[in-house]
Amino acid sequence: MDQGQSKRVKRRGMSRRGFLKGLGSGVLASGFWHFGGGDSLLGNDQGERNTSLGPGEVPITLKVNGRSHTVKVEPRMTLIDCLRMKLHLPGTKPVCDRGECGACTVLLDGKSVYSCMMLAMDARGKAITTIEGLSSGDTLHPVQEAFIQHDGLQCGFCTPGQILAVTALLNEHPDPTDEEIRVGLSGNLCRCGAYPHIFEAVQTAAVSIRAQKK
Amino acid sequence: MSKKITTYLRENGRRREVTFQVPDDEPRRWGADELLRVVGQPIRRVDALEKVTGRARYTYDIELPGMLYGKILRCPHPRAKVISLDLRPAKKMRGIKAAIAWKEEALFAGEEVAAVAGVTKDIAEDAIHHIRVEYDVLPFVVDQDQAKNSRAPRVREEGNTQGPQIYARGDIQDGFASADLIVEATYTTPVVIHVPLETHGSVAQWNGDELTVWDSTQAVFSVRDALAQAFEMPKSKVRVIKEHTGGAFGSKLWMRDYTVIAAKLARQAGRPVKLMLSREEDFLCTGNRPSSVQQLRVGATRDGTLTALHLRSYGTAGITGGAGCSWPIRGIYRCENVKTEETDVFTNAGPACPFRAPGFVQGSFALESILDELAEKLEMDPLELRKKNYAEVDPVQGLPYSIKALAEEYEVGAKAFDWKRKWQPAHVKKGTSRRGVGLGTAMWFGAGAPPCHVEAVIRSDGSVTISCGTQDIGTATRTIMAQIAAEELGLDVGEIEVDIGDTESELYAPSSGGSQTAATVTPATRVALTNARNQLFEVLASKLGVASESLAIGDHRVLVGDDPSKSLAWADATRHLGRDIIVALGSRAPNPEGFSYRTFGAQFAEVEVDTETGQVQVLKIVSAQDCGRAINPLTVQGQIKGGIVQGLSYALLEERIMDREKGLMLNANLEDYKIAGSLEMPEIDSIIVDATDPIVNNVGAKGIGEPPIIPTAGAIANAVANAIGVRIRDLPLTPDKILMALEQQEKRAG
Repeated sequence: MDQGQSKRVKRRGMSRRGFLKGLGSGVLASGFWHFGGGDSLLGNDQGERNTSLGPGEVPITLKVNGRSHTVKVEPRMTLIDCLRMKLHLPGTKPVCDRGECGACTVLLDGKSVYSCMMLAMDARGKAITTIEGLSSGDTLHPVQEAFIQHDGLQCGFCTPGQILAVTALLNEHPDPTDEEIRVGLSGNLCRCGAYPHIFEAVQTAAVSIRAQKK
Repeated sequence: MSKKITTYLRENGRRREVTFQVPDDEPRRWGADELLRVVGQPIRRVDALEKVTGRARYTYDIELPGMLYGKILRCPHPRAKVISLDLRPAKKMRGIKAAIAWKEEALFAGEEVAAVAGVTKDIAEDAIHHIRVEYDVLPFVVDQDQAKNSRAPRVREEGNTQGPQIYARGDIQDGFASADLIVEATYTTPVVIHVPLETHGSVAQWNGDELTVWDSTQAVFSVRDALAQAFEMPKSKVRVIKEHTGGAFGSKLWMRDYTVIAAKLARQAGRPVKLMLSREEDFLCTGNRPSSVQQLRVGATRDGTLTALHLRSYGTAGITGGAGCSWPIRGIYRCENVKTEETDVFTNAGPACPFRAPGFVQGSFALESILDELAEKLEMDPLELRKKNYAEVDPVQGLPYSIKALAEEYEVGAKAFDWKRKWQPAHVKKGTSRRGVGLGTAMWFGAGAPPCHVEAVIRSDGSVTISCGTQDIGTATRTIMAQIAAEELGLDVGEIEVDIGDTESELYAPSSGGSQTAATVTPATRVALTNARNQLFEVLASKLGVASESLAIGDHRVLVGDDPSKSLAWADATRHLGRDIIVALGSRAPNPEGFSYRTFGAQFAEVEVDTETGQVQVLKIVSAQDCGRAINPLTVQGQIKGGIVQGLSYALLEERIMDREKGLMLNANLEDYKIAGSLEMPEIDSIIVDATDPIVNNVGAKGIGEPPIIPTAGAIANAVANAIGVRIRDLPLTPDKILMALEQQEKRAG
């Protein structure tokens, strides 16, 4: 738990922040930063070894809901925090910050990920879809429509994550069995207990999406 | 003034006439067979669109210009005094704009000691680590049984126990003396946490000497009043807004320290402050359902009639009281001789907060369990035992029920579940997977009551707005209010604008707890709409030169006399208002006296127990439940199934685990504190039984939020016992307990 520095605990040696600062500004522009094993911590999509970035804010470009955005983020900023606070897209909801509940689910190149478990930097070069990007103008996505029809929600806080998880599930299993639905949604908690109605919504959405594709 | 009316209701398949007093100026009560167009229909939630598109604004989403992020420093020790606190290292940090000290003594790990506000969330979290604080760690106790010991560290000066609080009727000595059979057992339940997905938190903004707070709450007026008191301000200068709340379940019923802290930081910084708790903080200090140790003794005659019920219970609600759980024993079944003795045990842990059917969930588990144990000894069908002790009259108040549909609920529920075929007396079953069934009875309140005020506005363009300072916490309050308005004005739900959750209206509604919102707000809404409609008719009457009695509402029309050609489309009718606007108030009238207002339900559970892993899979739950008139069956189903899911979660998964030596909660996260997910879902067959209650209020509706969570754990525990032939009396029913019970059963047999 967060706690102040108790007087009985001596201040530790140099902080990580201090160490990085001490490397000098030259490092920001060039140089290498990697850990043993040869894998770059800050790889880009070409997998090359990278310049080190941060710890202050650095500009990155993210493709969200079909549009490119350039924002300044600290390297430690999670994708969800970046979406909500830098891109002002609050539809993605923060619940546990530990990858335990699925509320922060977004799509990355069509696959569901927990945006709290991802650094914003690591989402560069990927197509990010948030709940705000699911509908086209006034036309709702079939999953959204199905959730309304079957009342697959109550308080609504898990709903954006559920809807995106369902969308990803139906991308992979266009005609899911009950078991596939349960397993596919097992990473999305709903404290209000709307699961039964959510399952119905998934079935309806599946039919609707298959019909649209014909 | 009031007048006497006679009408009828439909109860357990029979028509029954009822006579009672109603206020003079109320709209005519909607009766049992009322033909309604919109009310009673499964209408889509009016705020569903906002929620599925991510446009719904929760407290967590509020962003204001110049807004800072607050973060609280919490005491890591279960009992400590703050010897020194130095905020300066935090204040000096770049981006930190305010810092305050808070409590000087902590009575549990997690109490607020100080707080900062910074320009980003991360800066504020960094700053907390720089506050220099020295604690004097004091003796503590977190285990309720250790706390009861007179040598335990004192949680409170006066001692670690409070009570017993005693309820008694009849004479249990006589009752036990006349019993043919007595069963005695002790049941235990853990402390559990509400876990709303949106954590607690507030956004505070000062405008001169006026304070506006957005709070994730169930209780805007309660928070407003408490804030005004905390800051010694007139209530008129404090405004609390809640558009959407991401779950609450009782944990957001009153103002908390973090709200005052946010406001104080905002005042110091001269900028708005958002302070949302982390998930861990939410687990530690925002409330819980207390634990229980229930020593129950029941006496009955050979035919199953209960002669005596005696409960001795204790539990811990942390540093506060609130561990009572005797209501089911007192009030659900008929029994002349009852005594309950409840004791609170204080421990250095987070305080309790009402949690969906407080007391009832713990008490029902124990009661339904012991009734099945009794049924087993009597070799009686557990359902027959419940029916044998059907209370025709409220056992506590002695009043007649306005309506009680439980007999019908037992019947339709049992039939849908196929109880007669599925229930067999517990015997040692063979095979790795063993199935069993069990049941439980729900009883709750939910009649609603004054005060509550609703305002209805009709404008010349035909637009309608209804306002009230009530809350929608996922419970569809907005939707059912719109349904009432649509019904009364001949319009569609989509044509009604609903404004709730803002104290600025000064339209009081009670906190959304106790399942009282629907039954409190919708009758007041009907009164407001009736008044608005009457005012509109008066205007029209004078403009059209007709008697206002000749006007009536049609389908998107105002009808004038018997001549259809004279009728006006709604917008044409309202155009006669010209520059004027109709603003009408409606207030909630009191409930007629002399009746006990309750809702009832029956739940049946089928489980499959894997005797090798100890895992329990709930296969199916059938619920037959009423809420008076179900204004919206679609959203009522959501509440019922949601309550059942939480009851299942309580039965199988949830418990707060405290480290006795360190006094800390060990599972303050969603991985180690498990709540039910999709893989735990049974098939749920939920039957809404119509028990329209024309007596209770002019809509005939009662609340549904709490009843469905009550009997689920008992039904599941009974099903597990029925499956494996041995009873586990301690929740949650985790695999280790199942396996241990099976092992002991084998030892006894072998």
